[in-house]
Amino acid sequence: MSAATTTPPAHTSQTGKGVNFGRAIRSEWIKLRTVPSTVVLLSITLVVMVGLAVLSGWGLAMSAGVQAGMPPEQQAQMAESGGLQGAAYTVPSGGIIFGQLLIASLAVVLIASEWGTGMIRSTMVAVPKRIPALLAKNLVIAVVSFVIGVVAALLSYYVAQPFLAGEDLDFAITHDGMVASIINTGTYLALIAVISMAIGTMLRNTAGGIVTAVGLFFVLPTIVVQLLTLLADWIDDAAEYLPTNAGQQMVSVNIADDALNQWQGGLVMAAWAVGLLVISLIVAKRRDV
Amino acid sequence: MIEARNLAKRYGAKTAVDGVSFNVQPGKVTGFLGPNGAGKSTTMRMIVGLDRPSHGDVIVNGKHYADHKAPLQEVGALLDAKAVHTKRSAHNHLKAMAATHGIPNSRVKEVTEMTGLSAVAKKRVGGFSLGMGQRLGIAAAMLGDPHTLILDEPVNGLDPEGVQWVRHLAKGLAAEGRTVFLSSHLMSEMSQTADHLIIIGRGRIIADASMDDVIAGQGQARTRVRTDQPQVLANALAGEGVSIQSLEPELLEVAGIDARRIAETALQNRVLVYELTPLQESLEDVYMKLTQDEVEYHSADPVSQLSMAGEGRQS
Repeated sequence: MSAATTTPPAHTSQTGKGVNFGRAIRSEWIKLRTVPSTVVLLSITLVVMVGLAVLSGWGLAMSAGVQAGMPPEQQAQMAESGGLQGAAYTVPSGGIIFGQLLIASLAVVLIASEWGTGMIRSTMVAVPKRIPALLAKNLVIAVVSFVIGVVAALLSYYVAQPFLAGEDLDFAITHDGMVASIINTGTYLALIAVISMAIGTMLRNTAGGIVTAVGLFFVLPTIVVQLLTLLADWIDDAAEYLPTNAGQQMVSVNIADDALNQWQGGLVMAAWAVGLLVISLIVAKRRDV
Repeated sequence: MIEARNLAKRYGAKTAVDGVSFNVQPGKVTGFLGPNGAGKSTTMRMIVGLDRPSHGDVIVNGKHYADHKAPLQEVGALLDAKAVHTKRSAHNHLKAMAATHGIPNSRVKEVTEMTGLSAVAKKRVGGFSLGMGQRLGIAAAMLGDPHTLILDEPVNGLDPEGVQWVRHLAKGLAAEGRTVFLSSHLMSEMSQTADHLIIIGRGRIIADASMDDVIAGQGQARTRVRTDQPQVLANALAGEGVSIQSLEPELLEVAGIDARRIAETALQNRVLVYELTPLQESLEDVYMKLTQDEVEYHSADPVSQLSMAGEGRQS
């Protein structure tokens, strides 16, 4: 130790290598795994999605039995609107309606709880450029949601086939558009996660974030649009471009001629996700924490 | 080395920090002292980029904090002990922070042991006491083995043993050539730890000097004198710059003249003196005097205080 007080020994530290995006991802992955409620919620999402899909498969098989006893003209009418076989194709992706609710809530909680607990200050001190940390957090939850969506859809497909087979409604996974539908169940949830996390980042509040996300995903496309359609015809067309309406085209197998196709629906939803993500990053970069 | 230039922060109409400039030098403990709400925390938050300055600039080790490749290795900051997710364990919190810099797990273990958290490292932070939270905050600050440490009220909530430990830690780190910047609203705490003092009041720097200069530059040394002829001695001592107070019948407090001169005067006048005690002015007294204006102003005249804030906004 130097005796001269004017020139203290220069201290050098050699503990790490510095921040980069890969390390920010690793950090966010650790953070995701180490809050027990997150892991529980993700597991529940998977189980519930498969459960609901299988339930709908079972329900289809039941109604097939009922339909067999109906007069022929009524059967013909039902077949025209896609019929039970058409409905059977939606079974693998059937869990997304409920799955998106859980994923949206989780994504909001993941970021808003950082503000709620004060953790965000540790995050921003460790990664003071901020955007790498937030992008990493988005990427981690998007990938996890994607995997859960794909796995849930695959499991749903296989578990539901025996029920459907009982009424000759079963189908091969190679059926036109089916593989895309299964993969896009994951894509859909990943985009839901990014949109929700952007909302959570902007609002910094768990309750407000969840209410806003649910409003955008459920209330706006259904209740609000139904009310507004009475006022103007174009509302119905515009509603096609809402994130959930557009996104659900990704998992559709039978697509009406005038509707968005799988690609178009996906791109519209992705545009929502990217747009909101960019806004949330700008806001978070500029704001005091 | 921390360099702040005209650093200011306004929240709406309120000016928290009002254009402060100072340097915090390596190799010593610099105390950042001021009453509650003086702008200490805001200044520290601006140093690590959590708050964006309204005006001015602050750099650490030659760069803005955010521009360093490995910020945690440049600056370790304890800004608020509860900057932790309550449902995560202490160990996992440190692991997640370390991961951003590729800091190995062995270092996580090291800082956990160093801060005495080993026994509770696997427990959820939500159940931690204030003192344990403080230790975890210090562990996080030490993760990167940083050149510069910024500790906001580090002894807050610590038990006496913990307070002692923080003092030793701060001094030890400074002795290794690091920059240590420590805030407190208690002068008594500073007097035990700091080599240099920056005193802030209502967003402005009141004093920036070594601890010795702060004490020496303020107030006069006083001497307590007991004598059986106080009147005679008082008359003999009376002169320019000397003030004498009679506290008890045979007890005087003399300022403006040192103990030796008092003794000489007493000897010349054949006055018996049976106590002669130089009174070291306590740092607490100095601090109270320095911040008196701010505090008095604060409570006595809230109306002009408001108009002051108005002026601050225009500048």
